Amino acid sequence: MNSENEITFKNIVFNGLLKKNPILVSGMVIAPVVVIGNSFMNALALAAAFSVITFFTLIVSSFVPKNIVYTIRIIMYTFIGSLVYVPSAILLSYLIPDGINAMGIFFPLLIANGMIISRSETIFFQESKGHMLLDMIFCILGYDAAVLLYGLIREIIGSGTVCGRIIGMPVVFSGFATPFGGFILLGLMAALLRVVLLTIKRVGKAEAGSPRGHTAV
Amino acid sequence: MEFIKNIMLTAFTAVIVENTVFCRALGTSTLLVAARKRKNLVGFGICVTYMTALTSILTYLADRIFSFSENSYIYVPLVYTLILGFVYVVTLLCMWKFAPKLFMAMRKYIHVSAFNCAVLGSMFLISKYCTTFGDYFLHGTGIGLGFVLAIYITAIIYDRLYSEKVPYAFRGYPLLMIYMGILGMAFWGLSGHALNY
Repeated sequence: MNSENEITFKNIVFNGLLKKNPILVSGMVIAPVVVIGNSFMNALALAAAFSVITFFTLIVSSFVPKNIVYTIRIIMYTFIGSLVYVPSAILLSYLIPDGINAMGIFFPLLIANGMIISRSETIFFQESKGHMLLDMIFCILGYDAAVLLYGLIREIIGSGTVCGRIIGMPVVFSGFATPFGGFILLGLMAALLRVVLLTIKRVGKAEAGSPRGHTAV
Repeated sequence: MEFIKNIMLTAFTAVIVENTVFCRALGTSTLLVAARKRKNLVGFGICVTYMTALTSILTYLADRIFSFSENSYIYVPLVYTLILGFVYVVTLLCMWKFAPKLFMAMRKYIHVSAFNCAVLGSMFLISKYCTTFGDYFLHGTGIGLGFVLAIYITAIIYDRLYSEKVPYAFRGYPLLMIYMGILGMAFWGLSGHALNY
Protein backbone atom coordinates (compact mmCIF):
# COMPACT_ATOMS: atom_id res chain seq x y z
CA MET A 1 0.00 0.00 0.00
CA ASN A 2 1.18 3.50 -0.77
CA SER A 3 2.46 5.12 2.46
CA GLU A 4 0.46 8.30 1.63
CA ASN A 5 -2.79 6.33 1.82
CA GLU A 6 -1.96 4.27 4.92
CA ILE A 7 -4.23 4.77 7.91
CA THR A 8 -1.78 6.24 10.38
CA PHE A 9 -2.27 9.01 12.91
CA LYS A 10 0.23 11.17 10.99
CA ASN A 11 -1.70 10.73 7.72
CA ILE A 12 -5.05 11.45 9.38
CA VAL A 13 -3.66 14.69 10.84
CA PHE A 14 -1.94 15.66 7.59
CA ASN A 15 -5.03 14.90 5.47
CA GLY A 16 -7.45 16.74 7.76
CA LEU A 17 -5.33 19.83 8.21
CA LEU A 18 -3.68 20.15 4.81
CA LYS A 19 -4.02 17.55 2.05
CA LYS A 20 -7.82 17.26 2.17
CA ASN A 21 -8.58 20.53 3.93
CA PRO A 22 -12.37 21.00 3.77
CA ILE A 23 -12.20 24.65 2.65
CA LEU A 24 -8.96 25.06 0.74
CA VAL A 25 -8.97 21.72 -1.09
CA SER A 26 -12.46 20.18 -1.02
CA GLY A 27 -14.48 23.41 -1.24
CA MET A 28 -16.92 22.41 1.49
CA VAL A 29 -19.03 24.78 3.60
CA ILE A 30 -17.59 27.83 1.83
CA ALA A 31 -20.72 30.02 1.82
CA PRO A 32 -20.39 31.26 5.43
CA VAL A 33 -16.62 31.59 5.02
CA VAL A 34 -16.92 33.81 1.95
CA VAL A 35 -19.73 36.00 3.30
CA ILE A 36 -19.09 36.41 7.00
CA GLY A 37 -15.45 35.39 7.41
CA ASN A 38 -14.27 38.97 6.84
CA SER A 39 -12.80 39.47 10.30
CA PHE A 40 -10.96 37.31 12.81
CA MET A 41 -13.75 37.54 15.40
CA ASN A 42 -16.41 36.53 12.85
CA ALA A 43 -14.16 33.68 11.76
CA LEU A 44 -13.79 32.62 15.39
CA ALA A 45 -17.58 32.57 15.85
CA LEU A 46 -17.99 30.61 12.62
CA ALA A 47 -15.31 28.10 13.61
CA ALA A 48 -16.93 27.59 17.03
CA ALA A 49 -20.44 27.20 15.60
CA PHE A 50 -19.29 24.88 12.83
CA SER A 51 -17.24 22.69 15.19
CA VAL A 52 -20.01 22.24 17.77
CA ILE A 53 -22.84 21.61 15.29
CA THR A 54 -20.87 19.37 12.92
CA PHE A 55 -19.13 17.28 15.58
CA PHE A 56 -22.22 16.42 17.62
CA THR A 57 -24.43 15.96 14.56
CA LEU A 58 -21.94 13.53 13.02
CA ILE A 59 -21.52 11.62 16.27
CA VAL A 60 -25.29 11.16 16.71
CA SER A 61 -25.83 10.50 12.98
CA SER A 62 -23.26 7.72 13.00
CA PHE A 63 -25.73 5.65 15.04
CA VAL A 64 -28.44 5.87 12.36
CA PRO A 65 -28.84 2.29 11.06
CA LYS A 66 -27.44 1.71 7.57
CA ASN A 67 -30.42 -0.46 6.57
CA ILE A 68 -32.59 2.65 6.44
CA VAL A 69 -32.75 3.87 2.85
CA TYR A 70 -30.46 6.76 1.96
CA THR A 71 -33.44 8.99 1.13
CA ILE A 72 -34.60 8.83 4.74
CA ARG A 73 -31.09 8.81 6.24
CA ILE A 74 -30.27 12.15 4.62
CA ILE A 75 -33.41 13.71 6.15
CA MET A 76 -32.49 12.22 9.51
CA TYR A 77 -29.00 13.75 9.39
CA THR A 78 -30.43 17.20 8.72
CA PHE A 79 -33.08 16.68 11.37
CA ILE A 80 -30.43 15.63 13.90
CA GLY A 81 -28.48 18.74 12.87
CA SER A 82 -31.49 20.94 13.62
CA LEU A 83 -31.91 19.24 17.01
CA VAL A 84 -28.22 19.71 17.83
CA TYR A 85 -28.63 23.34 16.72
CA VAL A 86 -31.03 24.10 19.62
CA PRO A 87 -28.57 23.67 22.54
CA SER A 88 -25.70 24.94 20.36
CA ALA A 89 -27.61 28.16 19.60
CA ILE A 90 -28.41 28.71 23.28
CA LEU A 91 -24.82 28.04 24.36
CA LEU A 92 -23.08 30.03 21.63
CA SER A 93 -25.52 32.96 21.86
CA TYR A 94 -24.57 33.15 25.55
CA LEU A 95 -20.81 32.81 24.99
CA ILE A 96 -20.31 34.86 21.80
CA PRO A 97 -23.51 36.87 21.23
CA ASP A 98 -21.96 39.40 18.82
CA GLY A 99 -20.32 36.75 16.70
CA ILE A 100 -23.52 34.73 16.43
CA ASN A 101 -25.56 37.83 15.56
CA ALA A 102 -23.05 38.68 12.85
CA MET A 103 -23.54 35.24 11.29
CA GLY A 104 -27.18 35.94 10.45
CA ILE A 105 -28.83 33.16 8.45
CA PHE A 106 -25.51 31.38 8.02
CA PHE A 107 -25.62 30.11 11.59
CA PRO A 108 -28.75 27.92 11.19
CA LEU A 109 -27.59 26.97 7.69
CA LEU A 110 -24.71 25.03 9.25
CA ILE A 111 -27.16 22.19 9.96
CA ALA A 112 -27.14 21.35 6.24
CA ASN A 113 -23.41 21.65 5.67
CA GLY A 114 -21.56 19.45 3.20
CA MET A 115 -19.67 17.57 5.90
CA ILE A 116 -22.97 16.36 7.41
CA ILE A 117 -24.85 15.76 4.14
CA SER A 118 -22.24 14.20 1.88
CA ARG A 119 -18.85 13.62 3.55
CA SER A 120 -20.54 11.67 6.34
CA GLU A 121 -21.81 9.06 3.88
CA THR A 122 -18.88 8.96 1.49
CA ILE A 123 -16.04 8.97 4.04
CA PHE A 124 -16.79 9.11 7.76
CA PHE A 125 -19.45 6.40 8.06
CA GLN A 126 -17.41 4.03 5.89
CA GLU A 127 -14.65 3.96 8.50
CA SER A 128 -14.35 2.21 11.87
CA LYS A 129 -15.64 4.27 14.84
CA GLY A 130 -12.18 5.11 16.17
CA HIS A 131 -10.80 6.08 12.78
CA MET A 132 -13.99 8.05 12.03
CA LEU A 133 -13.67 10.02 15.25
CA LEU A 134 -10.05 10.97 14.58
CA ASP A 135 -10.74 11.77 10.94
CA MET A 136 -13.73 13.92 11.92
CA ILE A 137 -11.82 15.81 14.60
CA PHE A 138 -8.94 16.67 12.29
CA CYS A 139 -11.26 17.58 9.41
CA ILE A 140 -13.07 19.99 11.72
CA LEU A 141 -9.76 21.32 13.06
CA GLY A 142 -8.56 21.74 9.47
CA TYR A 143 -11.68 23.74 8.71
CA ASP A 144 -11.25 25.86 11.85
CA ALA A 145 -7.56 26.55 11.18
CA ALA A 146 -8.28 27.57 7.58
CA VAL A 147 -11.21 29.80 8.61
CA LEU A 148 -9.20 31.56 11.31
CA LEU A 149 -6.22 32.17 9.04
CA TYR A 150 -8.53 33.31 6.24
CA GLY A 151 -10.45 35.65 8.57
CA LEU A 152 -7.22 37.15 9.92
CA ILE A 153 -5.71 37.76 6.47
CA ARG A 154 -9.01 39.15 5.16
CA GLU A 155 -9.37 41.51 8.09
CA ILE A 156 -5.80 42.78 7.68
CA ILE A 157 -6.02 43.44 3.93
CA GLY A 158 -9.73 44.32 3.82
CA SER A 159 -10.05 46.55 6.89
CA GLY A 160 -6.47 47.19 8.05
CA THR A 161 -7.26 45.86 11.52
CA VAL A 162 -6.61 42.79 13.70
CA CYS A 163 -9.48 41.91 16.06
CA GLY A 164 -10.85 45.42 15.46
CA ARG A 165 -7.58 47.22 16.31
CA ILE A 166 -6.06 49.43 13.63
CA ILE A 167 -2.57 48.22 12.72
CA GLY A 168 -1.56 51.02 10.39
CA MET A 169 -1.70 49.28 7.02
CA PRO A 170 -0.48 51.65 4.28
CA VAL A 171 -3.18 50.44 1.87
CA VAL A 172 -6.55 48.80 2.60
CA PHE A 173 -8.44 46.85 -0.09
CA SER A 174 -12.02 47.09 1.20
CA GLY A 175 -13.26 44.91 -1.67
CA PHE A 176 -11.79 41.91 0.16
CA ALA A 177 -14.36 42.37 2.92
CA THR A 178 -17.17 41.68 0.42
CA PRO A 179 -18.24 38.20 -0.81
CA PHE A 180 -16.56 38.62 -4.21
CA GLY A 181 -13.31 39.56 -2.48
CA GLY A 182 -13.84 36.53 -0.26
CA PHE A 183 -14.06 34.25 -3.30
CA ILE A 184 -10.88 35.72 -4.78
CA LEU A 185 -8.91 35.43 -1.53
CA LEU A 186 -10.14 31.86 -1.09
CA GLY A 187 -8.90 31.00 -4.59
CA LEU A 188 -5.50 32.56 -3.88
CA MET A 189 -5.15 30.72 -0.56
CA ALA A 190 -6.18 27.43 -2.19
CA ALA A 191 -3.49 27.96 -4.85
CA LEU A 192 -0.92 28.75 -2.16
CA LEU A 193 -1.79 25.59 -0.24
CA ARG A 194 -1.36 23.60 -3.43
CA VAL A 195 2.15 25.00 -3.86
CA VAL A 196 2.94 24.15 -0.23
CA LEU A 197 1.65 20.59 -0.66
CA LEU A 198 3.64 20.17 -3.87
CA THR A 199 6.79 21.39 -2.13
CA ILE A 200 6.23 19.00 0.80
CA LYS A 201 5.76 16.14 -1.67
CA ARG A 202 8.95 17.02 -3.58
CA VAL A 203 10.99 17.32 -0.39
CA GLY A 204 9.60 13.99 0.79
CA LYS A 205 10.51 12.31 -2.49
CA ALA A 206 13.98 13.85 -2.47
CA GLU A 207 14.53 12.64 1.09
CA ALA A 208 13.37 9.15 0.19
CA GLY A 209 15.53 9.06 -2.94
CA SER A 210 18.74 10.45 -1.49
CA PRO A 211 21.33 8.09 0.07
CA ARG A 212 21.14 7.67 3.89
CA GLY A 213 17.74 9.37 3.79
CA HIS A 214 19.25 12.89 3.74
CA THR A 215 17.64 15.68 1.72
CA ALA A 216 19.23 16.16 -1.69
CA VAL A 217 20.64 19.66 -2.14
CA MET B 1 -49.70 46.55 -15.61
CA GLU B 2 -48.47 47.33 -12.10
CA PHE B 3 -48.73 43.62 -11.26
CA ILE B 4 -46.57 42.60 -14.24
CA LYS B 5 -44.06 45.33 -13.42
CA ASN B 6 -43.78 44.03 -9.86
CA ILE B 7 -43.27 40.46 -11.04
CA MET B 8 -40.55 41.53 -13.47
CA LEU B 9 -38.82 43.61 -10.82
CA THR B 10 -38.91 40.86 -8.19
CA ALA B 11 -37.67 38.27 -10.68
CA PHE B 12 -34.82 40.53 -11.86
CA THR B 13 -33.82 41.26 -8.28
CA ALA B 14 -33.90 37.64 -7.13
CA VAL B 15 -32.21 36.17 -10.22
CA ILE B 16 -29.61 38.81 -11.11
CA VAL B 17 -29.14 41.66 -8.63
CA GLU B 18 -29.24 39.50 -5.50
CA ASN B 19 -28.02 36.30 -7.13
CA THR B 20 -27.92 33.49 -4.57
CA VAL B 21 -24.46 32.27 -5.45
CA PHE B 22 -22.53 35.31 -6.64
CA CYS B 23 -23.87 37.82 -4.10
CA ARG B 24 -24.61 35.65 -1.07
CA ALA B 25 -22.48 32.58 -1.86
CA LEU B 26 -25.39 30.32 -0.89
CA GLY B 27 -25.07 26.85 -2.40
CA THR B 28 -21.51 27.35 -3.66
CA SER B 29 -20.41 23.88 -2.54
CA THR B 30 -23.44 22.34 -4.29
CA LEU B 31 -22.63 24.32 -7.43
CA LEU B 32 -19.12 22.82 -7.47
CA VAL B 33 -20.70 19.34 -7.58
CA ALA B 34 -23.45 20.21 -10.07
CA ALA B 35 -21.28 22.06 -12.59
CA ARG B 36 -19.09 18.96 -13.12
CA LYS B 37 -21.62 17.14 -15.30
CA ARG B 38 -23.26 19.23 -17.97
CA LYS B 39 -25.77 16.56 -19.02
CA ASN B 40 -27.45 16.69 -15.58
CA LEU B 41 -27.59 20.46 -15.57
CA VAL B 42 -31.18 20.88 -16.79
CA GLY B 43 -32.59 18.23 -14.45
CA PHE B 44 -30.63 19.59 -11.53
CA GLY B 45 -31.75 23.15 -12.25
CA ILE B 46 -35.40 22.09 -12.47
CA CYS B 47 -35.06 20.17 -9.18
CA VAL B 48 -33.57 23.15 -7.31
CA THR B 49 -36.13 25.62 -8.68
CA TYR B 50 -38.95 23.22 -7.92
CA MET B 51 -37.69 22.79 -4.36
CA THR B 52 -37.26 26.52 -3.71
CA ALA B 53 -40.67 27.32 -5.24
CA LEU B 54 -42.57 24.65 -3.35
CA THR B 55 -40.81 25.23 -0.03
CA SER B 56 -41.51 28.97 -0.36
CA ILE B 57 -45.26 28.20 -0.29
CA LEU B 58 -44.90 25.98 2.76
CA THR B 59 -42.56 28.47 4.42
CA TYR B 60 -45.26 31.13 4.02
CA LEU B 61 -47.81 28.83 5.66
CA ALA B 62 -45.42 27.88 8.49
CA ASP B 63 -44.56 31.53 9.14
CA ARG B 64 -48.27 32.35 9.39
CA ILE B 65 -49.13 29.34 11.58
CA PHE B 66 -46.22 29.61 14.02
CA SER B 67 -45.79 33.42 13.77
CA PHE B 68 -42.10 33.23 14.67
CA SER B 69 -40.85 35.86 17.08
CA GLU B 70 -37.34 37.29 17.60
CA ASN B 71 -36.45 34.50 20.02
CA SER B 72 -37.83 31.66 17.92
CA TYR B 73 -34.58 31.41 15.91
CA ILE B 74 -33.77 28.37 18.06
CA TYR B 75 -36.46 26.11 16.65
CA VAL B 76 -37.07 27.67 13.20
CA PRO B 77 -34.43 25.40 11.54
CA LEU B 78 -36.29 22.39 12.95
CA VAL B 79 -39.55 23.49 11.30
CA TYR B 80 -37.84 24.30 7.99
CA THR B 81 -36.01 20.97 7.97
CA LEU B 82 -39.33 19.17 8.42
CA ILE B 83 -40.84 21.17 5.54
CA LEU B 84 -37.87 20.36 3.32
CA GLY B 85 -37.98 16.69 4.30
CA PHE B 86 -41.71 16.55 3.62
CA VAL B 87 -41.38 18.11 0.13
CA TYR B 88 -38.44 15.81 -0.63
CA VAL B 89 -40.23 12.60 0.38
CA VAL B 90 -43.52 13.53 -1.31
CA THR B 91 -41.66 14.45 -4.52
CA LEU B 92 -39.75 11.18 -4.53
CA LEU B 93 -42.90 9.13 -3.85
CA CYS B 94 -44.84 10.92 -6.62
CA MET B 95 -42.00 10.43 -9.08
CA TRP B 96 -41.61 6.77 -8.12
CA LYS B 97 -45.34 6.16 -8.53
CA PHE B 98 -46.16 8.25 -11.63
CA ALA B 99 -42.84 8.74 -13.45
CA PRO B 100 -40.52 5.82 -12.62
CA LYS B 101 -38.17 6.60 -15.52
CA LEU B 102 -37.72 10.16 -14.31
CA PHE B 103 -37.23 8.84 -10.79
CA MET B 104 -34.42 6.54 -11.93
CA ALA B 105 -32.78 9.37 -13.88
CA MET B 106 -32.95 11.90 -11.07
CA ARG B 107 -32.48 9.81 -7.95
CA LYS B 108 -28.70 10.25 -8.05
CA TYR B 109 -28.79 13.99 -7.59
CA ILE B 110 -32.21 14.89 -6.20
CA HIS B 111 -30.92 14.72 -2.60
CA VAL B 112 -28.09 17.14 -3.48
CA SER B 113 -30.59 19.50 -5.09
CA ALA B 114 -32.91 19.35 -2.08
CA PHE B 115 -30.58 19.43 0.93
CA ASN B 116 -28.27 22.33 0.28
CA CYS B 117 -27.65 25.85 1.50
CA ALA B 118 -29.38 27.41 -1.53
CA VAL B 119 -32.75 25.78 -0.80
CA LEU B 120 -32.59 26.05 3.00
CA GLY B 121 -31.09 29.54 2.71
CA SER B 122 -33.92 30.64 0.41
CA MET B 123 -36.40 29.66 3.13
CA PHE B 124 -34.60 31.78 5.72
CA LEU B 125 -34.18 34.71 3.34
CA ILE B 126 -37.79 34.92 2.17
CA SER B 127 -39.00 34.46 5.73
CA LYS B 128 -36.85 37.43 6.76
CA TYR B 129 -37.57 39.84 3.91
CA CYS B 130 -40.93 38.90 2.33
CA THR B 131 -44.38 39.66 3.64
CA THR B 132 -47.04 38.64 1.11
CA PHE B 133 -47.66 35.23 -0.45
CA GLY B 134 -46.73 36.59 -3.88
CA ASP B 135 -43.41 37.89 -2.53
CA TYR B 136 -42.62 34.55 -0.91
CA PHE B 137 -43.36 32.58 -4.06
CA LEU B 138 -41.68 34.94 -6.52
CA HIS B 139 -38.55 35.32 -4.42
CA GLY B 140 -38.41 31.57 -3.77
CA THR B 141 -38.69 30.78 -7.47
CA GLY B 142 -36.28 33.61 -8.34
CA ILE B 143 -33.64 32.29 -5.95
CA GLY B 144 -33.92 28.86 -7.61
CA LEU B 145 -33.61 30.40 -11.08
CA GLY B 146 -30.67 32.53 -9.93
CA PHE B 147 -28.97 29.36 -8.72
CA VAL B 148 -29.59 27.72 -12.11
CA LEU B 149 -28.09 30.75 -13.87
CA ALA B 150 -25.02 30.52 -11.63
CA ILE B 151 -24.59 26.80 -12.35
CA TYR B 152 -24.91 27.42 -16.08
CA ILE B 153 -22.38 30.28 -16.10
CA THR B 154 -19.95 28.10 -14.14
CA ALA B 155 -20.53 24.94 -16.17
CA ILE B 156 -19.81 26.57 -19.55
CA ILE B 157 -16.26 27.41 -18.48
CA TYR B 158 -15.68 24.45 -16.16
CA ASP B 159 -13.52 22.43 -18.59
CA ARG B 160 -11.28 25.40 -19.33
CA LEU B 161 -10.69 26.04 -15.64
CA TYR B 162 -9.52 22.43 -15.30
CA SER B 163 -7.42 22.53 -18.48
CA GLU B 164 -3.79 21.46 -18.33
CA LYS B 165 -2.86 24.81 -19.86
CA VAL B 166 -3.65 26.42 -16.51
CA PRO B 167 -0.67 26.40 -14.06
CA TYR B 168 -1.01 23.53 -11.58
CA ALA B 169 -1.35 25.78 -8.52
CA PHE B 170 -4.43 27.49 -9.96
CA ARG B 171 -5.94 24.61 -11.93
CA GLY B 172 -9.50 23.70 -11.02
CA TYR B 173 -10.84 24.76 -7.66
CA PRO B 174 -8.58 27.80 -6.95
CA LEU B 175 -9.26 29.31 -10.38
CA LEU B 176 -12.96 28.49 -10.08
CA MET B 177 -13.09 30.55 -6.88
CA ILE B 178 -11.30 33.47 -8.55
CA TYR B 179 -13.66 33.19 -11.54
CA MET B 180 -16.66 33.24 -9.22
CA GLY B 181 -15.16 36.21 -7.42
CA ILE B 182 -14.82 38.16 -10.66
CA LEU B 183 -18.39 37.28 -11.65
CA GLY B 184 -19.52 38.13 -8.12
CA MET B 185 -17.92 41.55 -8.55
CA ALA B 186 -20.03 42.13 -11.67
CA PHE B 187 -23.26 40.99 -9.99
CA TRP B 188 -22.41 42.92 -6.85
CA GLY B 189 -21.92 46.06 -8.92
CA LEU B 190 -25.55 45.83 -10.06
CA SER B 191 -26.83 46.06 -6.50
CA GLY B 192 -24.57 49.01 -5.77
CA HIS B 193 -24.70 48.47 -2.01
CA ALA B 194 -24.11 45.82 0.64
CA LEU B 195 -26.84 43.19 0.93
CA ASN B 196 -28.30 42.07 4.21
CA TYR B 197 -28.14 38.45 5.26
